[in-house]
Amino acid sequence: MKPAPFRSFLLISHKQMALTASRSTEPTGTSNVRADGILNGFKLNWMNLRDAESGKILWQSTEDMADPTREHEAHVPKSILKCRTVSREINFTSVEKIDKFRLEQRVFLKGNIIEEWFFEFGFVIPQSTNTWQNLIEAAPEAQMLPASLLSGNVVIETSFFDDTLLVSTSTVRLFYD
Amino acid sequence: MGLLEVLKKFKSTQSKELRILLLGLDNAGKTTILKGMASEDIAHVTPTQGFNIKSVVSGNIKLNVWDIGGQRKIRPYWKNYFEKTDVLIYVIDSSDKKRFDETGMELMDLLEEDKLAHVPLLIYANKQDLVHAARASEIASGLQLLAIRDRDWQIQPCSAVSGEGIKDGLDWLAKIMEKKK
Repeated sequence: MKPAPFRSFLLISHKQMALTASRSTEPTGTSNVRADGILNGFKLNWMNLRDAESGKILWQSTEDMADPTREHEAHVPKSILKCRTVSREINFTSVEKIDKFRLEQRVFLKGNIIEEWFFEFGFVIPQSTNTWQNLIEAAPEAQMLPASLLSGNVVIETSFFDDTLLVSTSTVRLFYD
Repeated sequence: MGLLEVLKKFKSTQSKELRILLLGLDNAGKTTILKGMASEDIAHVTPTQGFNIKSVVSGNIKLNVWDIGGQRKIRPYWKNYFEKTDVLIYVIDSSDKKRFDETGMELMDLLEEDKLAHVPLLIYANKQDLVHAARASEIASGLQLLAIRDRDWQIQPCSAVSGEGIKDGLDWLAKIMEKKK
């Protein structure tokens, strides 16, 4: 069944977002040295959510998103659900060059995928800091799910890969306060 | 402005996916222009040490704008981002007269790239808000832009800080892309 369209930004809105980040620790195959280098040199610096119409930041992480041992929480104002467009922005650093960098981002509602994005970056410059921002148009208000249903039940999972090598995953749970 | 508005300008083009590449020397104003397009605060822009991408989807059309850092040490990596480019936006600091030769040479190198052949070129003559900024017409003749005959191109005076001229450049691009249908 096709999931009901709604704005996933909303998810980030007013509840809290709990962020967890983890990192693959067991690269396999023959390119272990290269893989280790990429994994060790990769850092997710921050994420934010904006009202894309005004460009205003509604939430921004402060902690090191790449820390795999912590679960982060963020609270987003409920008003995010009223935004016509919301953007999610991610900033990361890589020490090593990466040739086939790509990202998979999934939004889950109670464990079901309601939104899925794939983005191919291709080449990542060694010693670079980069941002990727994804802007999504909201569903018509009538099709939006209420904040009470979304809060605490929405998870944004972002995974970074070099081709098939998992470089980093971060998971954000959203709470609309 | 808002990126959705930018995207909507290109609604009548045939491609489902549009890739815009923003290049130019460091401190030309690429990131400020990009943030301005998205109505974002431009007060704290820092030198780009890699890329900034803004990705917008609306209906069945998708716009990706790639802003790549312009520092000398980053420029050799520009070529990694040429593939599938639909539009090249080249940004010039109109007040940085000492580096007109340098920026002109970088631009000419780009125009010789196979992967950018026939790609429409919009040049933003940025920082027109500064008193000592060269006029777009001076830059056009100084950089011998009139010799460009293998693609559609336009030089557009603008100020990334005030936003003036940015929309006009995009309107020209949208018109060109529609023509290419």
